Amino acid sequence: MVAGMAGDPILRAQRLERLRALDHRLTLATHLPPRPSPAPPPDPARRAADLARALDGTVVEGRGGPIVAVTEHVSLPLDMPALVGLPLDIDPSRPLVLLDTETTGLGTAAGTVAFLIGLGRWDGASLEVRQLWLPDHAAEPALLDALEAFLPPAACLVTYNGRTFDWPLLVARYRLHRRSPPELGAHLDLLPVARQLWRHRLADARLVSVEAGVAHLQRHEDLPGALVPDRYFAYLRDGSTRPLLAIGRHNREDVVTMGRLLQVLARELAAGEARRLAHPGDVAALARLLRRRGRRDEAASCYEDALAACERPDAPRTVDAGSVALEHARLLARLGRRAEARGIWQGLTHRGGEVALHAWLAMAKDREHHLRDPAAALAAAGEVERLLARRRAMGLFTRDLERDLPRRLQRLRRRAAERQVRAMPSRAPRA
Amino acid sequence: MRLYAPATVDQVVDALLRQPDIAASVVADERRPARPAEAAPLPVWLDQRLRDGLARRGLTTLYSHQAAALEALHEGRDVMVVTPTASGKSLCYHLPVLQAVAGDPAARALYLFPTKALSQDQLVALEALAGAAELELAAAVYDGDTPAPIRSTIRTAGQVVLTNPDMLHAAILPHHTKWFQLFEQLRYVVVDEAHLYRGVFGSHVANVLRRLFRLCAHYGSHPQLILCSATIGRPGALAASLTGCPVTVIDHSGAPTGPRRVVLLNPPVVDARLGVRGSTYGLVERIALAFMRAERQTIVFARSRTGVEVLLTHLREALREGRGPRERLRGYRGGYLPSERRAIEAGLRDASVLGVISTNALELGLDIGRLDAAVLAGYPGSVAATWQQMGRAGRRLEPSVSLMVASSSPVDQYIASHPAYLLAGSPEEARLDPDNLHILLAHVRAAAFELPFEPGERFGEAPADDLLAFLSEEGHVRQADDGRWYWASENFPASEIPLRTAAADNVVIIDTGGPRPRVIGEVDLFGAPTVVHEGAIYLHESRQYHVDRLDWDERKAYVRPVDVDHFTQAESAVTLKILETFAREDAEGGSRSHGEVMVSRLATIYKKLRFTTLENLGWGRIHLPEMEMHTTAYWLALDPAAVAGWRRDEVDVALVGAGRAMQTVGSVLLMSDPHDLGLVTQVRSPHLQQPVIYLYDGVPGGVGLAARLHERHDELLAGARDLVASCPCDAGCPACTGPRLETGDDGKLLAGRLLAILAPGARRAAA
Repeated sequence: MVAGMAGDPILRAQRLERLRALDHRLTLATHLPPRPSPAPPPDPARRAADLARALDGTVVEGRGGPIVAVTEHVSLPLDMPALVGLPLDIDPSRPLVLLDTETTGLGTAAGTVAFLIGLGRWDGASLEVRQLWLPDHAAEPALLDALEAFLPPAACLVTYNGRTFDWPLLVARYRLHRRSPPELGAHLDLLPVARQLWRHRLADARLVSVEAGVAHLQRHEDLPGALVPDRYFAYLRDGSTRPLLAIGRHNREDVVTMGRLLQVLARELAAGEARRLAHPGDVAALARLLRRRGRRDEAASCYEDALAACERPDAPRTVDAGSVALEHARLLARLGRRAEARGIWQGLTHRGGEVALHAWLAMAKDREHHLRDPAAALAAAGEVERLLARRRAMGLFTRDLERDLPRRLQRLRRRAAERQVRAMPSRAPRA
Repeated sequence: MRLYAPATVDQVVDALLRQPDIAASVVADERRPARPAEAAPLPVWLDQRLRDGLARRGLTTLYSHQAAALEALHEGRDVMVVTPTASGKSLCYHLPVLQAVAGDPAARALYLFPTKALSQDQLVALEALAGAAELELAAAVYDGDTPAPIRSTIRTAGQVVLTNPDMLHAAILPHHTKWFQLFEQLRYVVVDEAHLYRGVFGSHVANVLRRLFRLCAHYGSHPQLILCSATIGRPGALAASLTGCPVTVIDHSGAPTGPRRVVLLNPPVVDARLGVRGSTYGLVERIALAFMRAERQTIVFARSRTGVEVLLTHLREALREGRGPRERLRGYRGGYLPSERRAIEAGLRDASVLGVISTNALELGLDIGRLDAAVLAGYPGSVAATWQQMGRAGRRLEPSVSLMVASSSPVDQYIASHPAYLLAGSPEEARLDPDNLHILLAHVRAAAFELPFEPGERFGEAPADDLLAFLSEEGHVRQADDGRWYWASENFPASEIPLRTAAADNVVIIDTGGPRPRVIGEVDLFGAPTVVHEGAIYLHESRQYHVDRLDWDERKAYVRPVDVDHFTQAESAVTLKILETFAREDAEGGSRSHGEVMVSRLATIYKKLRFTTLENLGWGRIHLPEMEMHTTAYWLALDPAAVAGWRRDEVDVALVGAGRAMQTVGSVLLMSDPHDLGLVTQVRSPHLQQPVIYLYDGVPGGVGLAARLHERHDELLAGARDLVASCPCDAGCPACTGPRLETGDDGKLLAGRLLAILAPGARRAAA
């Protein structure tokens, strides 16, 4: 070892001291908060008590230190049987638990902590909202214990983007403490559901946007998420609890909103008369979801409801009933209900526009492959050609149809001619 | 000899040496005898499936070093295997790892390679061995190219994970909770090419390993270490500073080698006044051509990517004129597609490729078989790397030859005038300083992010509390109620720490000449004002770029390619202040010391100089802030009596000239780039009131270069004296006392006189 090299503690102290005095720009990160005043000696009990008082919660003693729990009951009746019928994989035997976390950063790496876990579970028509707060890093084992205790066995977790963020983050916290994370019965992430059902009429799929557009709730003074970590760090540094109140409100709203979205789903989209009164675009999106899940018969009736909803005088103009009807007819045809499908196509030919074009095309295919009537199919294809020409004249191009049509016409003409020849055998070969 | 006639390597060399100008260039021609294999039986405890697998591949015994490594690992020790290229080092880690997995499928191993290509190469080798042994093995490369869908499978099920230090640092350690199966069951950590982990990079990697072992301890595993390295000095010391663990060093190779001839050449002087020598590449071409025409498989190492392309073009041209095997000559460098590289490697193994021109990319352990001749265009920068490259030639039984042609750079000229340094001397040590304060602080941040620190917990040698307290002042770390230190910031510290440079705060160089702007390089902030000031000509891969704009606040320099006949040289006012003296001893003619210093540099003006004549074509001012760097330095303070009677300007010139030579020799001794050592001279130091030569570590905080120079003062001074004395130039040149612009016409004379005072005694024999 050379004098003055590695590991000499006195020397290191001197070098650190010089580094302190230096311009930090050359050495360390660029964003430097002001040098804090020396922290008061730690008093975990007092810290937790202060936090509990500010949040109107209670101190819960636990491993590592005390945490703070805030409990509230919100009336939020939920029609479980209606919800179970929706393609959300909800199993009535698994209790639903709402979960949303507030964290010290994005990402699920080991340095990000969930300092507030907002939870919700139903007790009859009442939603019990429980918020678990971490007053100090040291109490995290207690926080994880409390979460585990709140989750009933085989719970169905309900989150918003929790599949990629909240739950993996919590799993990481358990792993960090070398514990197994609680077993879940199921996990319903409402973000993809919202994208599928409601995104068509919203600016984005953020929870606040969905809440405003779907549940018709407007938040006042909601806290931008980007401010959350700094407020918590400030609290850790100097104990200031007041800025945390807005975080608590924000988290509570998020939890309750998830409950309300389930309520809306059960009330508006479950099978039955109510669905015809819902937004037709939502109902059509639900029909698609059912179809993709392989629940085709239910999908067909859902399309009917969507079309009925379109007929309502107050229905929004944004939904193209013709397209929905085309999807409906295509599904009916697949289900073998071709007669019904033909009726719909026939009806759609009077609509004009692109819908009529697709209806004629569907009929051309149907007549060729199922009715085996090339002449009639040719007539339908001729309609497609005529409509395409008219659209071209108006400067509208439907490229894939235009590309495929000539081949179809050619084939149908040939088949129709063959059929004609076969129909007149006596005149055929002699000449 | 006919142009195209198969010949032995000796015949080719002899024919070459009959040409008078080549004969005149030879500075050393040495023959090394063949060495037989030293075999050892397979260890009795080796799994039967592995024995069968080895037998299927024709292996019933091991080389002695492989057996020794296996035995040491079996006894629970950590090992470092230090043997030449292609001596079967990788079996020293594949076998114990497969043995562990064969015994317990839950066992895990982590392999670290400095490059992605090596990971891929060793994955293939490992899978082949597992396949031959009919062992089920889940092994995978986890790096930036790994597709996202299979990443989670590797995390949970990968028994052997092959990765690189950068990936471990930025992607695995910070996400350790997703890798808990690996960390709980980690049996082996393999660090291949360990000699590359030196300097700044090595200091970072040492800290990444500290973080790794810290997490292993948390998850309850105690992996054994297997390090592999090219031949370097004091490998055990490298292992200790890199890993913090004492290791068993196995450095006696049992692999056979055929007889080898080593020839060093220095192109003759063509202009004695300027010290200009004949072209290195020209000589390399003639030599390589002779081998290929004699049907001998040849590898040529060029110093840069451009060098590869230039040599390739010329050699193909020459081979076409003589209707030679030009299609069998290939280039190999970074930037080639991986598939293309694999094809060339395979071609070398099956001899369908006769010649390859490569950068140092092929110096590492990629499997290309063994070739007949290796030709090195220039000194690769270290004795260790030289033997690595020369080791590419060397068949098991047949004779081989390795030739090095020196370039005109100062370091090359030092080697050419001291062939014994290369041929007889021991290879350099790889130095790193894991406790460089800046690097250490960066990794303590990352480690706190990964896992809270217990009070009193050690990170490296010493408890980390003082560092954590320091970091807590910035607010990124806080001490919680339980006394532990927790990460308390939104930042992701690992992403702010690039492992291969010292400071995160670099200036990025952006080429705006293409269809879209492209980053072509980076310079450290301290060096930026003299390299990428507005109006500078920046050289990158032998291309010239003009710096149009330097956005200092954004740390961006915008450049465009140009083709001009001049280069720019910035002048700066450098001041150096001693902050702390760590050690001081008397030395011949004065004293030697090392310690902590503050270097300030204010770039003032730049000159435009014509390439060939160095004629001054104009100048401009540089308006950039003064830069300060806090680092370590070695200094030689002269006893005023030693230069009594000298004029002040004579002392000045002598200090600069002697300093340049010391800088060159210092970089050779420490295996560092000459730019890593900064030179400052003071005719009368304000601090010491004496004439002083300082060599400072070019990295903030230093990586231990200064302390080593202090230790090796005598060698340094003797080397500098010999370098100046033996240089054939008449009055100083870039190869000895520096460009004449700096020292004037008396530079060499005065520097030589000064060095003779500082390093008296007979000149060491050159051979």
